[in-house]
Amino acid sequence: MGSRMPAAQGRLAQGGTRDDGIGRRMIVVMVLSCLAFLARRVELLLLLTGINAVAIFWLHRGPLSLRREMRTFAWQTAIILGLHLFRFRTMAGLWLGFKVSWQLFLALLPGMVFARTASQSGIVRVLTRVMPGRAAFVLSTCMRFIPRLLGEIKNIYEGQVLRGARILPRDLVRPWHWADLLHCVVVPAVVQGMALAGHIALAARARGFERFPRRTCWPGE
Amino acid sequence: MARRIFKPRWQLPHLSLKDALFIGFCALFAVLVRVFFRIKLRISGRSMLPTVFFLMLARGSVSYPFAAIFAGLLAGSAAMFVGFAKQGPMVLLQYFLVAAVIDGLALLLPGRFRHPVWSGLTGALAGFSKFFSDYARNFLIGMDATVNLQLSLIEGAGAALFGLLAGLLLPVVLRRLRAYGVIV
Repeated sequence: MGSRMPAAQGRLAQGGTRDDGIGRRMIVVMVLSCLAFLARRVELLLLLTGINAVAIFWLHRGPLSLRREMRTFAWQTAIILGLHLFRFRTMAGLWLGFKVSWQLFLALLPGMVFARTASQSGIVRVLTRVMPGRAAFVLSTCMRFIPRLLGEIKNIYEGQVLRGARILPRDLVRPWHWADLLHCVVVPAVVQGMALAGHIALAARARGFERFPRRTCWPGE
Repeated sequence: MARRIFKPRWQLPHLSLKDALFIGFCALFAVLVRVFFRIKLRISGRSMLPTVFFLMLARGSVSYPFAAIFAGLLAGSAAMFVGFAKQGPMVLLQYFLVAAVIDGLALLLPGRFRHPVWSGLTGALAGFSKFFSDYARNFLIGMDATVNLQLSLIEGAGAALFGLLAGLLLPVVLRRLRAYGVIV
């Protein structure tokens, strides 16, 4: 630690920034996500999956457990397959749905892994190069906390299903059940989002955020 | 000689960090649900439902006059991050146009989306802004003017319908939030 500090201070004194290659990683993530939307054929999707595996190894600098991401993929695939089955009622429709789910997963996976593995201060520092500091803080903080909020919304959803709310995918194909979704999931989710925003704001203020016009501290350096 | 202090007649209202973070969550949800809506349902303008809903939710829950524009710009930036960047800066323009219509109508119309009629009208007009962004994009790639107009009108009409639906759903949510005392 002691030997690293002077070098880091020296770089900062020379006007350099320490983002641990986060800017480069961010560009790679964006490119991979864009490629996922462009890949329509199975061969391309397979190729992109391989590239993603290599990129994830590089993003994390080592092997990484993807259990949480795979759960998200399974959940998303179930919903998309349900909707496609309702729309097309054929095996071809189901295969189309699976490909769409695969594509979506490949589009979101690099961003999810990046948000998990990159330090928040690094993300903010990169974003402040292209947008105002406050907006960069808001965007990076929300990106960091969105998986947590999604997890809480999932808990709300499961709780409401157990209570008998008609919000399962097969119920939601009937528009008159959408009111249940609004009352049982959307409203509590908004309340949860506001509460989480309040807690984060309180924590940030307690750490002196916005006390000075320019940011004075970058944690992790 | 006394120093003259310049004081602006009108200042931008302050946006609290809590409200800014809530707007950020709304923006990210607008993008995430829109990503989900990319499933092929062959219905034009379907992605306008979450976009309009969450941008209007940001403006309806927070008393900051440019809440939707802030949410739109954050959503546009996030959308470029999660892979809509193949549309380039057009995705930012698209979110900005929707948000500008929402903020503009929130200032002009009474009740801040509490009344279903005004809210529905705002949603439909915000959705129809897709016509302009689509027309601009097709114009830039050199599409024939008549075809461009027809195609953009179809897209805009579909988006307006979904925007209308989002606008009609919003007062229900806002009413419940007000009943719980979460918003004023």
